[in-house]
Amino acid sequence: MDGEVFYGAAYKGSKQFRQQEVRTADATGFGAAADDYAERGIDLNEQLVRNKPATFFMRVRGDAMIGAGIHDGDVVIVDRSIKASSGKVIIATLNGEMLIRRFEKGFNKIRLIPDTSKLSPIEVDPYADFSVWGVVTYVIHAV
Amino acid sequence: MKAIIDCNSFYCSCERLYRPDLWNRPVVVLSNNDGCIIARSDEAKTIGLSMAAPYYQQRDQIVKNKVAVFSSNYHLYGDLSMRVMDTLRTILPPHCVEVYSVDEAFLDLSHLPPSTFHLFAKELRQTVEMWTGIKVSVGVAPTKVLAKMANRLAKKNKAASDCVWVLDSPEKIDEALSQFDVGDLWGIGRRYADKLKDQFGITTAHQLKQMPEAWARKHLGGVVGMRMIRELNGEPSIPLKDPLEQKKMIATTRMFGKPVYRLEELREALASFVSRAAEKLRRQGCAASHLDVFVVTNGRAGEQYHYDPRADHRYVLMPRATSLTHEIIAYAMPLVDDLFRDGMKYLKAGVTLSMIVPDSEVQQNLFTPQQNVKGKALMEAVDNLNFSMRGDVVKYVSSGLTRNWKMRQEMRSQRFTTRWEELYEVK
Repeated sequence: MDGEVFYGAAYKGSKQFRQQEVRTADATGFGAAADDYAERGIDLNEQLVRNKPATFFMRVRGDAMIGAGIHDGDVVIVDRSIKASSGKVIIATLNGEMLIRRFEKGFNKIRLIPDTSKLSPIEVDPYADFSVWGVVTYVIHAV
Repeated sequence: MKAIIDCNSFYCSCERLYRPDLWNRPVVVLSNNDGCIIARSDEAKTIGLSMAAPYYQQRDQIVKNKVAVFSSNYHLYGDLSMRVMDTLRTILPPHCVEVYSVDEAFLDLSHLPPSTFHLFAKELRQTVEMWTGIKVSVGVAPTKVLAKMANRLAKKNKAASDCVWVLDSPEKIDEALSQFDVGDLWGIGRRYADKLKDQFGITTAHQLKQMPEAWARKHLGGVVGMRMIRELNGEPSIPLKDPLEQKKMIATTRMFGKPVYRLEELREALASFVSRAAEKLRRQGCAASHLDVFVVTNGRAGEQYHYDPRADHRYVLMPRATSLTHEIIAYAMPLVDDLFRDGMKYLKAGVTLSMIVPDSEVQQNLFTPQQNVKGKALMEAVDNLNFSMRGDVVKYVSSGLTRNWKMRQEMRSQRFTTRWEELYEVK
């Protein structure tokens, strides 16, 4: 993540735990020593969900962004609180449709660029119904 | 200063989030069982669709105007509502946000410098819309009643107001009050509005503002009326409620998807309503000792429903306050058996839990067995499973496995934000 504004509404759940939830807290043997250093294990939400109320998941269909490592069937994480800038992969709305494409903003034109040779870039007509729905921040891909 | 932030046609906004093709088209959302319209987008209001008339009577108009129709999708609405409220709590200190309903919240803005109200309200509106995709209106004024009025003005004049209306000077407030119908004030129901007009000739909010408090005490519901006068005069008299305040009564009421005729089905339905109500009870860490069960049958001669308080309602005082689903079901079932009359057509039923106390303060009764620790652990496990796996994966057999009576939702959108298998698919 490259220095987006951090709003502080990230997933905080994993840092809140009570003493009762520490498994070794009432251990009769040597557990108590480790107890002093207890911390909750790594939680993916901390890394992937930067701003919970603004984060949405979508499933990708097709190969439009395959060159960017986003495959058919992958889940993308979309953050609506990030401002789209040139080069970011976004969810765009264009004439009533939702598309996943790379955003390219020139002086007075906007282009939506796929990452496959099978599709061609879309020049966004200045009078078209266009908006940025959200910015894709991560992709979850099964190996 | 207080503010109220209110989502614009909330359910329709939710349905539009993933449907850019509907951003300029009329949208309506139907009630449980697709009976009538419960939410309309501005476009749907313009073409004259009504919330009062049944949906099927308006079908021609709906088809002709290409109106998008949805069954209610409470999973989606609930999730988006939480996102809106979380966004507010991120921008403002959490104790300054009072969630008033699924799509409204009161905000306390006393910590902000007066010159910034308008800008702040605008930013708030933009941030909520950007983060959650839900469009909102903001009304700002010295009191809750006045903020509600400001919000209504913002919504009525969307083009001019940009969905933000600030009443921050006595002149602005008086100007708004003198053009505002007294019946549109928050807290003035139709009955009071008629009374004010017919008996006292009061038609605008400004006229009401000038009435003495003693008069309000006598004619406008006692203390409530007095508070209304004070609020209209810019004196905050309805404080921001502690958002963690416990509910004093918890009810689960549903229309059946299709009429129920058999006792077993009625028992199943009510057992499942008890499960839902008990879950809500446990979520606020409480126990209840009063249980009401009621049913509604089909109406006779001209009425749609029939409810006879004597025949269709039973209650029991449980010997000890409890939050355990199986205990409450055990008390509910005999009531259902007692209520049930063969040959009746049941359309609706519900349960209410009241006399609610915090779970930790449950009075032990000498003559009943101790609250069992195992039962509580069981409930915690059931609640955790149902929360993490969703959709009642663990339920009581008494609440039925087929659930024929469950609500009809023929045009429901996907549960985009709460189910992995229903995620939005993007190309």
